[in-house]
Amino acid sequence: MTRPPLDTLPRTPQDTGADRDAAPGARRRRRFDPLPYLLVSPLALFIVALALVPAVFTIVESFFRVDALDPPTRFIGLGNFRSLLHSAAVRTAAGNTMLYVLIGVALSTVLGIVMAITLQHRFAGRSVLIAVLILPWALPGVVEGIVWSGIWDANSGLLNSVLTSLHLIDHYQTFLGHGRLETIALIELVQVWQITPLSALLVLASLQNIPHDLYEAAKLDGCSSWAAFRRVTLPLVRPGIAVAMVQAVIATLNVFDQPYVLNGAASTGSSVMAQTYFISFQNLDFGAGYALSLLVTAATLVLSFLVVKFVHRTVEF
Amino acid sequence: MSLRVFRRVRVRWLGIAFILLWSLVPIYWTINTSLQSEAQAGSKPAHYLPPTPTVRNYSTLLGGSGEVSGQIRQSTANIFVECGAATLVTVVLSTLAAYAFARMTFRGRTALFYGVLATMAFPAYTTLIPLYRILGDFGLVNTYTGIVLVYVSGFLPLATWIMYNYLLTLPPAIEEAGLVDGASRLQVLRHVLLPLALPGIVSATVITFLFSWTQFLFPLVLSTDQSTEPLTVVIAALQGQHVVPSTLLSAAGVITIAVPAVIAVALNRYIVSGLVSGSVK
Amino acid sequence: MLSERRGVRGVVGVSLLSCLALVATACSGGGSAASTATRGVTINVALAIPSPPKASLAAFTKSTGITVHWTNIDWDSLQTKIAAAATAHTYFADATDVDWSRVGQLSKLKWFHPMQNYVDTKSLAADMPQMTSFTVGKEVVGVPFDASFLTTTVNKKMFADAGITAMPRTMAQYTADLRRIRSKGVVDHPLDIPFAAAEGLSTYWYQATAAFGGTVLDTHGRPRFTSPGSAGYKAAQWMVDAMRQGLVPPGNINTTDSQGTQTEMAKGTVASVFSDYSGNVGSLYDVPSSSTVVKQVGYLAPPGAGGPAPNLSNPDGIGIPQAAKYPVAAAKFIKWFTAADNQAAFAGLDGPDKTLRTYSLPSRLSAVHKLAAKGDLVGASAMSTMLASGTRPVFPGGAPSWYPQFSNAVYTNLHAAATGSLSVKGAIKAIAGTANRLASGS
Repeated sequence: MTRPPLDTLPRTPQDTGADRDAAPGARRRRRFDPLPYLLVSPLALFIVALALVPAVFTIVESFFRVDALDPPTRFIGLGNFRSLLHSAAVRTAAGNTMLYVLIGVALSTVLGIVMAITLQHRFAGRSVLIAVLILPWALPGVVEGIVWSGIWDANSGLLNSVLTSLHLIDHYQTFLGHGRLETIALIELVQVWQITPLSALLVLASLQNIPHDLYEAAKLDGCSSWAAFRRVTLPLVRPGIAVAMVQAVIATLNVFDQPYVLNGAASTGSSVMAQTYFISFQNLDFGAGYALSLLVTAATLVLSFLVVKFVHRTVEF
Repeated sequence: MSLRVFRRVRVRWLGIAFILLWSLVPIYWTINTSLQSEAQAGSKPAHYLPPTPTVRNYSTLLGGSGEVSGQIRQSTANIFVECGAATLVTVVLSTLAAYAFARMTFRGRTALFYGVLATMAFPAYTTLIPLYRILGDFGLVNTYTGIVLVYVSGFLPLATWIMYNYLLTLPPAIEEAGLVDGASRLQVLRHVLLPLALPGIVSATVITFLFSWTQFLFPLVLSTDQSTEPLTVVIAALQGQHVVPSTLLSAAGVITIAVPAVIAVALNRYIVSGLVSGSVK
Repeated sequence: MLSERRGVRGVVGVSLLSCLALVATACSGGGSAASTATRGVTINVALAIPSPPKASLAAFTKSTGITVHWTNIDWDSLQTKIAAAATAHTYFADATDVDWSRVGQLSKLKWFHPMQNYVDTKSLAADMPQMTSFTVGKEVVGVPFDASFLTTTVNKKMFADAGITAMPRTMAQYTADLRRIRSKGVVDHPLDIPFAAAEGLSTYWYQATAAFGGTVLDTHGRPRFTSPGSAGYKAAQWMVDAMRQGLVPPGNINTTDSQGTQTEMAKGTVASVFSDYSGNVGSLYDVPSSSTVVKQVGYLAPPGAGGPAPNLSNPDGIGIPQAAKYPVAAAKFIKWFTAADNQAAFAGLDGPDKTLRTYSLPSRLSAVHKLAAKGDLVGASAMSTMLASGTRPVFPGGAPSWYPQFSNAVYTNLHAAATGSLSVKGAIKAIAGTANRLASGS
């Protein structure tokens, strides 16, 4: 569930009208208008009941021992957090997840920029190419795991077949599951396949906001296309890159589908989200699960904030 | 100068080739495997084209009487019901709310608007465990309702945001004309605004549907048996068993990605506008 | 204004309708109470084994009016499903797996209907020695449907092709023979170990530990494998070395036991499974439809430190979850599924058409005798010798209630050692740390 963040203020045509500008007396005389409340109440109800209340649950119960195998529920302060810090499985998963984030954010951003620049100017077939570009974004992560495992399968994979034909390897290799870094990189590649289209679209959208005369000016100044890219394009698409990186941070910090399908319960590529799942739904230690998902949320918010702070620069034309 | 144009065009061709290969090779390989027999798929080196294309894997899955084909059929029905219902409810509720946010002023509007949008910044999985336990208390785990409720709550903010941004692009003058003619605001919404907002509604619908279709962890937790498991959960279980041949698994994968792939290719314009709406300004 | 009100009513109507629709599906979907009906009902059975032959199930339906819907889920996912459904108090299946290792925990949590209320467990107990493994105090959590134990299987043809005439009796001989099979080029990677991080890896280690002459935990649940000279440590070292030295196929790092490794053995890509499940020769490796090594595979008493090692018992049980819709019908099915005649048929007494693929040894002694008498128990002489010498429980003091977390630590750390990201010493230390923490109850 990747969502674009908000950096626009909601503005309505009537924003400056009615309530704010009307004299206090006038407001009192106005009849109460139930319609807007009626229109937003289902939305509000859903958000409160199924997002806010659960979020409060998560925060409160992370300080309790909530364990289906060890009732009753009781207050234990920071006990859940302490046991998580001491758990080797969680520490390994945290290290793995850092690698997922590093590889995923870097790769999806670079590839996203490359794809966006390819699509920057109009050419025949551009809309078809955009349709092809979006394709991996629309597919379920678990199936993408299956799709890619067909490529690096140890017995019948495309990669083994191609490398053998090119005489780069002399017999079929098991790519996934042995080396930690290799396994993580391959699993993350599957996720990059999924999240790069959105990065490309976001960068592309901000590329198209660049006034064309800026390039003309750069050209007149005698800039090479590489220099124009570095001095004109890159600084101006920073907001788009920032948004793309934030979506990548959220996706990679919470990666679950791809490691779950390709790596199972193994610690080699286990992510923090996979640990949360195993702790909560296999060990039924919900309290520790709450605490861990809270930590992931905090990490996501902090990292997203840092990206926005350091990558996003206000751009004025 | 001409050299530079030449170089730029050549670089673009590289980019185009990269996008095509990147997006299509993995999908092609899955389709290729799904059209082969188990023995052909296991050959070394691999067949880059199916030597004798067969649809037997598909007919086994969709028409067979075995346990696996039964699971695939039931879960295909499930995923359509869950995604369809979630999309319908999400789009209706988000359109109503977006209309209020975009066109009306009321107490608490800003706070509510920001509150709803702020939930998008939080990873959805934060609420997974409490949702599971709350729904469990209401007997809603392993029901269509439970899954649909969770999907709707997850996708409402984005759909509202898309609809809100789209409504803002429409000039208020049109509705004002309608209001002057004596129509009520809801009549204006229905007869004037909605037809104009159709592209926005399509965006919200398509994006919500695709997001629901890709869900895995939520239904993995919220459905406990085949009566509600969507295709994604069943596919992952088949993959984990290692008994299902890779050819059959590939065919199941192609079935799962067919619907979102067709939608994505056919309606990509609406997806792009919806995803990008208001995110870069 | 009037029209606006009507519009408002419309909005309210739509909202109410959608709520109603949701509630309606909610009611139809869940929360229905258990029924004692048995005729004309369909029950869901979820086990980690394939379904019995269609004809057998059809016969059951004909005689009882109960239709059986079978789900075969891998063991690890099945346990997660059972736990998830039980904690959410939701329906999951009418009859499902009760594993010996979880009986203590299951009884404490009351996730299953006590079987003695549905089946005459007392009279069954005489014919089912494994019943005690599924009983806590007076409560019978599940009925054992097989008497599975762990044993070694070997592809005798491959051993012969490598010029091995006498079958190995010690771990040293066994390892040397496997090396010989590899160096002679009979198969590239002769030894099958399911190194995926899953329950089967833990089970394999328990049997290997027994082979090196020890047990994993003492009667208080404390680890006995921490010193490098202990059986558990040696077993872990042996398994990991086998992987690193190429005795085990490298792809096995992602392979689980019941599905992956057994398939490799049946396809003839490996020469031996050290810790295999009893019954597999008759119900899998000798079944032409699923095997290319028919009549080539036999049982071998597990090689040990100085001679044949004990076999660990690993029986599977079936029980009725608390949220079952048709507990009485489920009980009828369990009676049928564990009947002596049917068990004998599942094990191959009435020919391959009535065999249940991968079914191991019947849990009923009378069924075992029947098979042995007719000479239909594949590998009968080897098997009966092993049975006579007595199989041993994995945990002499019974499985601790924290077993699932312990096993999780075992398989994740052994897997990590096999990938090389942990040393054997590090893996052992991590497993022992978990066991100590769990045993001390913190």
